[in-house]
Amino acid sequence: MNGSLANAMRSDWFGPLLVTIIAVVIVGSFNPSFLSPLNIQVLLLAIAVNGLIAFSQMLIIAIGQMNLSVGAIGGLCAIVFAGMMDVWHVPAPLAALSALSIGVICGIINGVLIARTGISAFVITLATLSVYKGINLGITHAQPFYNIAESVKSVGQGAIFGVVPWLMLPTMAVGLVLWFMLNRQPIGRFILAVGGNQHAAELSGISIENTVVTAHALSGFLAALAGLLLVARLQMGQPTIGDDWLILSFAAPVIGGAILAGGHVSVPATLLGVVIVAIITQALVLFDIDPFLVQVVLGAMILAAVGANRFRESRLSRKLKRL
Amino acid sequence: MSNYLRRVLAIGLLSAVGVGSASAAGDSKIALVPGGPHPYFAAWEQAGKDAAKDFGLAAADYKVPQKWELSQQNQLLESLLTQGYNGFLIFPGDPVGSVSTVDELVSNGAPVVGGAGCFKDPSSASFCLGTDTGNSAYIGTKELLKTLTGTKKRIAHFTGFLVDPNTQLRIDAVKKAAEEEGATVVQVIADIDAPEPAEEKINAYLAAHANDVDGIITSAWVPAVVASNAVRKIGDKRIKMVAIDHDEVVLKAIKDGFVNGTMLQNPYGQGYIGTFVLDKLRSGCTVKTDAPFKKNALTDKFIDSGTAYVAADKVDTYVDAMRDTTKKLFETFQATYLTCK
Repeated sequence: MNGSLANAMRSDWFGPLLVTIIAVVIVGSFNPSFLSPLNIQVLLLAIAVNGLIAFSQMLIIAIGQMNLSVGAIGGLCAIVFAGMMDVWHVPAPLAALSALSIGVICGIINGVLIARTGISAFVITLATLSVYKGINLGITHAQPFYNIAESVKSVGQGAIFGVVPWLMLPTMAVGLVLWFMLNRQPIGRFILAVGGNQHAAELSGISIENTVVTAHALSGFLAALAGLLLVARLQMGQPTIGDDWLILSFAAPVIGGAILAGGHVSVPATLLGVVIVAIITQALVLFDIDPFLVQVVLGAMILAAVGANRFRESRLSRKLKRL
Repeated sequence: MSNYLRRVLAIGLLSAVGVGSASAAGDSKIALVPGGPHPYFAAWEQAGKDAAKDFGLAAADYKVPQKWELSQQNQLLESLLTQGYNGFLIFPGDPVGSVSTVDELVSNGAPVVGGAGCFKDPSSASFCLGTDTGNSAYIGTKELLKTLTGTKKRIAHFTGFLVDPNTQLRIDAVKKAAEEEGATVVQVIADIDAPEPAEEKINAYLAAHANDVDGIITSAWVPAVVASNAVRKIGDKRIKMVAIDHDEVVLKAIKDGFVNGTMLQNPYGQGYIGTFVLDKLRSGCTVKTDAPFKKNALTDKFIDSGTAYVAADKVDTYVDAMRDTTKKLFETFQATYLTCK
């Protein structure tokens, strides 16, 4: 029992889980309606979309890079999905498939440009962010697409047992697949190896170019999926979808113990990072924080969550050294 | 707004004033530049096209910065100047921060009018043509409070970007109207003029506090849309709501009885009249020093482009309300505000 607990304490997800439990207890005790079924549903809806956004960035962090165009890809795919249904009356599954394909293509473009040119991912994705967002605005002229298929709307509004939104299912499935891929599949190990030490990975026979392109393609796919889920949730294709994703996409993996230099990420801890950010965001609304101070408090609380996790990790590593 | 309605509006305006293109400068190339991408400004695009056609301008193009960032807007404006645009209708990215760029444009011979939002005085902008946002929020709150029958009258206010100079004016106006009617503004949720934060925060608020609030006033486009969907979702018609603008979601929610009404603004009129005036200024007209400008917190040269409350009984004819407002303003605009030789 002690051994299992010690193992759990050493894992990346233990700290974020502890912070999550403490946050739920504190917010729930001050405001009991926080734990009402409707509020849990609202919380899960936020987690469903934000989880995919965080996973999209997490994969790129795993290879030691960053993707500034996550939001632009998600936004572009969202308006393609909504626009195809609205303008061309394309059936929802076909529109979704097209939008997801565009997400993958955007990711591949990022990956190929980074791998072939040797220019840093920061610069390349900064440029493609502008390109993808520009295409979005060129298509929409900043006008939303409204005529979304009823099936998409019902998925966005539906909930299992009235509590768990349908939109949680793809996020949970993606989480499981990513965990399996990163821990049990060669491509997952390649991604972590390239992030950990690119030179050593290359000497081991891993194709850096293929790995980088694959990671970016998967990242593009996940950003596109997040965009699709958001269209279902909002019941419209807003051109501004994705504009606010950047901070969250980094905050959740970092809270989850990801190393920005690459080589180490955790799927469950990243998801818990998303949960923490969602709880903080909700708490600021429930406690009626002055709107002009919301950003300050949000930033401070994210820092506190990251700090708590880092404190736990450093104490643990000191303990292990003493042993 | 459909193309047909836009044409009707434009033809109506032209016939109302009998304006030809005789005095228009054929080389006028006007840019209509919002602070960033936002559905409110979409009507500016058609308004610019209609005005260019009606007044014989070289162009009147809608140009959108990719993000709501002052630096991006400033770069776009400077770029447009070098591309030959010689008149600008601008929603300020920042009422103070944009002034130096406006001065630069005007010093290069391109007149500037503030559209939908104002520059902080002193600036080289000719005037500001926009919604009296404080008045609109004030009237909307009063309309909301008329529908509340209980004694407590607790209202929540959902509003837009904190960097938008209009947001504080709206917050103050809602508070003032509430105090006058003995109501309480129980919460202000701001900075939610984007879909994701609006969805998350409004739904979280209603999930926790639906029983603690009797009415909702929204004073920005996206919060109005999201709140309309939210009250429809919880299906509680006890909570009364007054929205803003004319998004399809809002209009449908009014028809279905989930939202009581909306405060219309006049983005088409701002774009159309703004373009017309910029051409006139280029043609040698000047702004009258004794024109009956209004004042607001930012400028002493403010012109109200009009606002109107539309409830379920008028929701199908809301375009008429916008047309009437624009027509009235346009009929007398030149005589009231300009001196032309």
